[in-house]
Amino acid sequence: MEGCPGSKMVDFRTEKTQTETGTTAKAVSQLRQWPVQLHLISPTAPYYQGADVVLTADCVGYALGNFHADFLKGKSIAIGCPKLDADQDEYVDKIASWCDDAKINILHVVIMQVPCCRGLLQIAQQGVAKASRKVPIKYSIVSLKGEILQEEWVTAAA
Amino acid sequence: MNEILDRNIKDVIREFPALEQVLAEFSIGCTGCSLGTCQLKDIVEIHNLSFDHEQLLMKRIATIVYPGQARTIPAIARKTQQKSNDTKLCPPLRELVDEHTHIKRVLGLLPDLLKRSDLAPERRIVMTGECIDFIRDYADAFHHAKEEKILFSYFDANSDIIASFVKEHETGRSHVRAAREGLAANDAAAMGQHLTAYAELLAEHIKKEDEILYPWMNRSLSDNQVGRLFSEFANVNSQFAEKTKSHVARIARMEQTLAHKADPVNAA
Repeated sequence: MEGCPGSKMVDFRTEKTQTETGTTAKAVSQLRQWPVQLHLISPTAPYYQGADVVLTADCVGYALGNFHADFLKGKSIAIGCPKLDADQDEYVDKIASWCDDAKINILHVVIMQVPCCRGLLQIAQQGVAKASRKVPIKYSIVSLKGEILQEEWVTAAA
Repeated sequence: MNEILDRNIKDVIREFPALEQVLAEFSIGCTGCSLGTCQLKDIVEIHNLSFDHEQLLMKRIATIVYPGQARTIPAIARKTQQKSNDTKLCPPLRELVDEHTHIKRVLGLLPDLLKRSDLAPERRIVMTGECIDFIRDYADAFHHAKEEKILFSYFDANSDIIASFVKEHETGRSHVRAAREGLAANDAAAMGQHLTAYAELLAEHIKKEDEILYPWMNRSLSDNQVGRLFSEFANVNSQFAEKTKSHVARIARMEQTLAHKADPVNAA
């Protein structure tokens, strides 16, 4: 039995590091809010009103080398772990509140390729399905090495 | 080669008819376009040709336009950063494609409706009137209005590609107006002629939207624009919700009527 891919140890230190391109200047943080953890945020905070929201799994920010520039810039954020976080019904309610009360523009869900991460997308779909006001959901799947494996728009769960 | 790339596609094909076949090999069907004022260099972006296909197409064009001459094949600058052709349509564009399904159902009914001899004349008039009502109400006042008043505003309204699709909407409207006048004047020939012309125009128009226009728009829209489009469409959809339901139910009834008439034994 191999065990859960989400917690399986993978060591790729010996692999050749990708050649860095572009400027060596320090990357500027694109975070424009606090808190970020989904249990802590208020869905009606001013930075969610009418916003493009990115909902990411906890590990995404570490896997994606250019997370701030490519995914966070211009957006509001929340993070969560669909495998380890408790009381995930609250997550569904907060996402529904984003849609109905904050009237967010889009919800971009970014998850890792490990199977357990898919739960975050399901939570997002349940939240939007619960809301009266629908928003389009886009999802991106990130590999352990920071590549985008898949990216597409979905419809909310019925 | 820039002098040929900056010319309207229709003028170029008129001067070099052999180009029609070359473009068709790259699934570019510009000869059927009623406007044809897109420039040759824009075709590459609209159809999102890969660099290799772009170079191959340009070489084939050069062979026809400049036979026996060596010409530098330019790399065409793309106005927007194009996403992959594999990207599925975003929800607002998918919604428009779904609406095409209902429109195509009515277009599919028209030839049968106009030619059937087993339909009582009064029944044919009523059903034809219902089709015209559907076209004016759903296809035009709802679907085309969403395109013209909302979707197209996210792009350059003066661009040739948008202008060509608007022109086809207007041509369709004139056919529907003439068909209504024919129906009111009990002129079956005029009504039939204009409805047939409308059906042919719309079928081709829908095909181009589904296969070319919407994928091009899909590649160009930002996530923020997708969200705003989705919300604007939702407002219109809620205003038309009852009418849409009633039209869709009416199409199903007409399809059933015509199927029953065609095959009264098995259609029941």
